Amino acid sequence: MKTILRNSCLSHWILAFVLAFGLTAHAQTAAPAAPATAAAAAPAPTVPPADAQLKDAAGKAPTTADLAKGDPGGTITGTINDVPAADSKAGVTLPDVANQVGQNKIAVNFVWTLVCGFLVMFMQAGFAMVESGLCRVKNANHTYMMNFFVYTCGLFAYWILGFAIQMGGAAGNSNLGGLQPLASEHAITLFGKTWGLFGQSGYFLAGHTYDVGVMVIFLFEMVFMDTALTIVTGACAERWKFITFAVSSVIMGAITYPIYGNWAWGGGWLSQLGTNVGLGKGYCDFAGSGVVHAVGGMTALAVSMMIGARIGKYNRDGSSNPIIGHDISAVLIGCFILAFGWFGFNPGSTLGASAAGNLRIGTIAVDTMLAGCTGTLGAIIYMWALKGKPDASMSGNGLLAGLVAITAPSGFVSAAGAAIIGLVAGVLVCVSCAFVENFMKVDDPVGAISVHGTNGLWGVLSVGLFADGTSNYGGSWNGVTGSVTGLFYGDASQLAAQLIGISTLMGFVFTLSFVINLILEFFVGQRVSVETELAGLDIPEMGQLGYPEFVFRPEPAMGTA
Amino acid sequence: MAANKSQGSYFGLFLGAATVLCAGFAYFGSGTGKALFALGAIAFVGSLFGFLGIKQLEGRTALKPSPEGMKLVGAAICLFGWVVTLTGIHLTSSTGGRIVFALLGIGVTAVGMIYILPAAFNKNAVWKGDSLASEHASIPVAAKTTMEHSR
Repeated sequence: MKTILRNSCLSHWILAFVLAFGLTAHAQTAAPAAPATAAAAAPAPTVPPADAQLKDAAGKAPTTADLAKGDPGGTITGTINDVPAADSKAGVTLPDVANQVGQNKIAVNFVWTLVCGFLVMFMQAGFAMVESGLCRVKNANHTYMMNFFVYTCGLFAYWILGFAIQMGGAAGNSNLGGLQPLASEHAITLFGKTWGLFGQSGYFLAGHTYDVGVMVIFLFEMVFMDTALTIVTGACAERWKFITFAVSSVIMGAITYPIYGNWAWGGGWLSQLGTNVGLGKGYCDFAGSGVVHAVGGMTALAVSMMIGARIGKYNRDGSSNPIIGHDISAVLIGCFILAFGWFGFNPGSTLGASAAGNLRIGTIAVDTMLAGCTGTLGAIIYMWALKGKPDASMSGNGLLAGLVAITAPSGFVSAAGAAIIGLVAGVLVCVSCAFVENFMKVDDPVGAISVHGTNGLWGVLSVGLFADGTSNYGGSWNGVTGSVTGLFYGDASQLAAQLIGISTLMGFVFTLSFVINLILEFFVGQRVSVETELAGLDIPEMGQLGYPEFVFRPEPAMGTA
Repeated sequence: MAANKSQGSYFGLFLGAATVLCAGFAYFGSGTGKALFALGAIAFVGSLFGFLGIKQLEGRTALKPSPEGMKLVGAAICLFGWVVTLTGIHLTSSTGGRIVFALLGIGVTAVGMIYILPAAFNKNAVWKGDSLASEHASIPVAAKTTMEHSR
């Protein structure tokens, strides 16, 4: 573990937090240790009362004059003097110290969760670069703008409704102070068991949800939701009407994503499969292969199927033409930004660095790195061996596929398991891209359906196979005592729970997205006109070229053969 | 039709209506909540019909009518697969049985998702017909992405 921490970039963040908060507490408790040891060695049988030790520590604490001299070694900053006393006349008491320790724990977890959320938010930039880079230059502004505006649409929708549906019944997380204002889950009783359906508190973050812990979980969950939304923009790029994209994104952020999010993470029925019918620890999706990526991927499939292929993608005989993106450098840099952001995605999903089992964040970070690595290897070797070239865009997709696949199992698997999961994902994304394009005849300019949909489902499945039973976050998961254990480590029932989650993603989420967007097709229309599409969406839809200093060189038209 | 003022106005109405609707839903127990809900619902529907009113301005898209019934059947089959999985949870208490039902449900859904729906949408796909680009020969197409500096 020490080696892992030393080698990991993430460890620097962790160490910074520990130094900022943890050592303060250690210094406060270290001071009285010496007299206590001395007292134990002395013949006197009694240990001084805690309050006496605290008074002794207060007496030995550096004075203002001492601190005024400076503290270059950092040895006298952060002492008992920094612990607030409830009664200044009585001085610091044991309850004061206990309260401060508790607040330190929550503070560490708040900062950890918020900073990880900030990293995930930055992934929007990566998505924008990847998607725009894989599109033609005539659609660059439109694609960038979809990635930009989806953040606003999603955030607004999540604030007014989505968060309440997803997390309105998610009370009980001790890492963030309990989140007790979020204790309203609408449930039904079937076959003698209670099943959660959706949350009911947190609309507009108003009323009793105006709470520090609720704000932290809102920010973290919001950026996850936005990640799911931006997956769809890639699959539907180069022909999606901007107005329809905006309306569709609002609805997805308000309804589609939060419903499945509640079922998996908000106390809903999927998470209750363990407590209600004894299937493992219930549906387990540590950081969102299913909740985030497969939901995005399923919606992307539904919309891109509906919106049709780009003009020129397919020939009359059904064969496909490659439509090359305009900026491979943006694609690969975007992939690196996404890989960086994933260190917020997966380790951040512990929702804390200071609680039982949360020191596993190092393992989670390494699992994330490894899966991305083997995903890239899988895709590169597959393309190189079968197609003759280490295709750059598929290499990037291999990296992302590995990261997507490890997202659900990252909290439950070993490094070797992560490497295998990533390797499979890297090959799977290549096979899936070919299948979607050539068999289903669905045009996905960036491979989002395969990267996020196919590998999101693979990630969910892999929890049920590779979870090794060593992770124990406070002794239970989803209310079931014990550690999450997959089929290869002896628990087939966890695999059953994961398969039910996959079926829900494919059967319910896909169909819901399909119906919603079919209604939008009727009222708004999904696709731009032929003239707009051929000319490029930048001017007609956005009013400005993505790269105004450059002009197109007209080329022979490539329509259908 | 490209993006225009009407779209922007109706999108503003859509967002405003959604906000009022959600506020009404959040406080539905009160009279004010019910009033907001009704107001929001009316405005929401109004925004949708506003979109519908300007939809035809878009002009011809590269989509041809496809069999609506086949699409609905495909969606229904996808949903039915999920129902099969859910039914299996209660029909059997054995882990193996539940896995079989889940796999069966996934398989049924996959039939709708992979075979029926793509077939429905591609049945009259525009790429099966005449070249659109040849119909719009005057419009330059950047099929292969190349850029040329203007200076």
